[in-house]
Amino acid sequence: MKMLKRILLIWSAIGMISSSVLAAETKLALVIPSTIDDLAWSQAMYQGIKDAQTELGADKLTFEVSERLWNAVDAGAAIRQYALKGFNIIIAHGAQYQSLLADIAPDFPKTSFAYGTGFNTPEPNIFAYDPHAQEGAYLLGMLAGLTTRSGIIGLVGPIKAGDAIKYNKGFEQGVMSVNSKAKVRVAYTGSFGDLVAAGEIARTHIKAGADVLTGTSQQTVGAINVVAEKEGLVWLSSDMDQKSIAPKTVLAAQVYNFKNVILNIVKNRASGVYGGKHLELSFANGGLILNFNDAIIGIAPKNAREKILAAKEKIIDGSLKIELN
Amino acid sequence: MLSEIIIGIIAAAIPLSITFVLVGIGEMFNQRAGVFNLGAEGIMMVGAFLGFYVEYIMKSGPGSSFLGMIAAIAVGSLMGAVMAVTCVNFKAEQGIAGIALFMLGWGVAGMLFRVYIGGTTSIVGLKALDIPFLNSIPVLGAILFSHNIMVYITLVIIPLSWYLLNRTAWGLKVKAVGTAPRAADTMGVKVDRIRFQCVVIGGAMAGLAGAYLSICQTHIYADNITAGRGFIAVALVYFGKWKPTGILWGALLFSLAHSFQRSIQVYGIDFPYEIAVMFPYILVIAVLAISGSSRIMAPTMLGRPYYREQRD
Repeated sequence: MKMLKRILLIWSAIGMISSSVLAAETKLALVIPSTIDDLAWSQAMYQGIKDAQTELGADKLTFEVSERLWNAVDAGAAIRQYALKGFNIIIAHGAQYQSLLADIAPDFPKTSFAYGTGFNTPEPNIFAYDPHAQEGAYLLGMLAGLTTRSGIIGLVGPIKAGDAIKYNKGFEQGVMSVNSKAKVRVAYTGSFGDLVAAGEIARTHIKAGADVLTGTSQQTVGAINVVAEKEGLVWLSSDMDQKSIAPKTVLAAQVYNFKNVILNIVKNRASGVYGGKHLELSFANGGLILNFNDAIIGIAPKNAREKILAAKEKIIDGSLKIELN
Repeated sequence: MLSEIIIGIIAAAIPLSITFVLVGIGEMFNQRAGVFNLGAEGIMMVGAFLGFYVEYIMKSGPGSSFLGMIAAIAVGSLMGAVMAVTCVNFKAEQGIAGIALFMLGWGVAGMLFRVYIGGTTSIVGLKALDIPFLNSIPVLGAILFSHNIMVYITLVIIPLSWYLLNRTAWGLKVKAVGTAPRAADTMGVKVDRIRFQCVVIGGAMAGLAGAYLSICQTHIYADNITAGRGFIAVALVYFGKWKPTGILWGALLFSLAHSFQRSIQVYGIDFPYEIAVMFPYILVIAVLAISGSSRIMAPTMLGRPYYREQRD
């Protein structure tokens, strides 16, 4: 009888602990280089967290955001403060924060840190998330190659690093897969947030004959408006669907769905894993979404959508590989 | 083909330079009077937002664009007045006050955007105009006669500001209070009043330059739209030796360098892009270093408050 009582006591204690773990509120902090309404990289993550919160319940996941922390020193101070305040998950949304997290994470072993784009997890409590930008870029490249009439495609890049390299490589391969005569011209602003410079590069591309343009990072909103000034030109967007700015210009978009990254981190923490994992966003796991703008998709050749969707299936089943080297 | 590229580079540089010219001319007035305003960047951000917002709520059109610019001038003047009260009346350290104004402007513009707009959206703005007949002149037509109207207004502002500074009694007072305020004071010139007026003019021009970015160049407002252009304009005042034409040439040279490096990239010329994007800054530093006489031309009391009751 005593034995039975003991087992029941232990069982109920375990039950109480586990239910308290599940019922406990997860506090998440997001540190971003720009703002939550940049209609690009930072807003995509903000949206992902909100979607995850909707799925888990507002009482299960709460979050705070610190914006405009592109400066590593300021970002480091914010990250440390969040950790000291007892936040469970701290997301530093940018590849530039990797070394910063590697420095801070050992001081807070029970806090999960995450950054991306990246794959290195230098500490056991750091997650790295990695959107396969090249996958959507390949499909958008196909659309560009099929749609261009001038045979010149302009790419507005931020800084030649991380996501931008993957996007550009995937995009160029996509163009070449359907239109080997087309030229993809790449120009960088040297910044992630200089939308005036992005607009000027778009203008230069257009003067040089480009009729299909694309680009990455938050600065692209400046380029889209320049493209929208002239009829018959189209823009292909990445990170988020940017057609709200120019509904008659944005032909298709690759959208990062960060919700799964957040859910994954929360789930891992519940099972006692605080980091050390490389979380990928791909078409196969729903981390990437391809949107067509149905209002203007008629600009592209009739069979373009079918060809692109067929290629997407090949990317998902692994029969189509995109080279990054 | 090459001539087309060269024409394209020059044509692209002209609208690009307008932001620097507008801020630079305004900054020239306040520096000539002895006050430097590092807050121009923050004023530009608020001007960019307000100009955008006025057009946004009025549902676009040229009339609303101009109203937006007037609103930007008004808010720029107001922020200039804040700077003037701080540095001219209360004699605060100008560099620190300028940085504080920059931070204030950045924060206020971002907050107002979040509250009143809530997300990235675009306006019609002022677009480039092809001036009939003139735009068909070979070479010159493409370079000079296919820009938005603010480009031409700015080209009128340059000789006007020269005239104001060099051919009016007020301009003489401005130069006097920036160079020898004690002497000006003994001659009956109200030093603080002239300085106050100049800082307000500088603010108004910075506000207008911000609105130029959102209404004429991008047709959008986004956080940090100015991306350091206000600070570059302050440097171009030194570059231009505190003269309107000098500032114009400096702005054109800097913009040409930018336009050139973008064309190098777009036309696929094999050149490291990292060096290409640095090129305009290297050029400005090099020209500043070569023209070492800049300091001689500087207003001698630049950055120094005037204490009427103290001996020099």
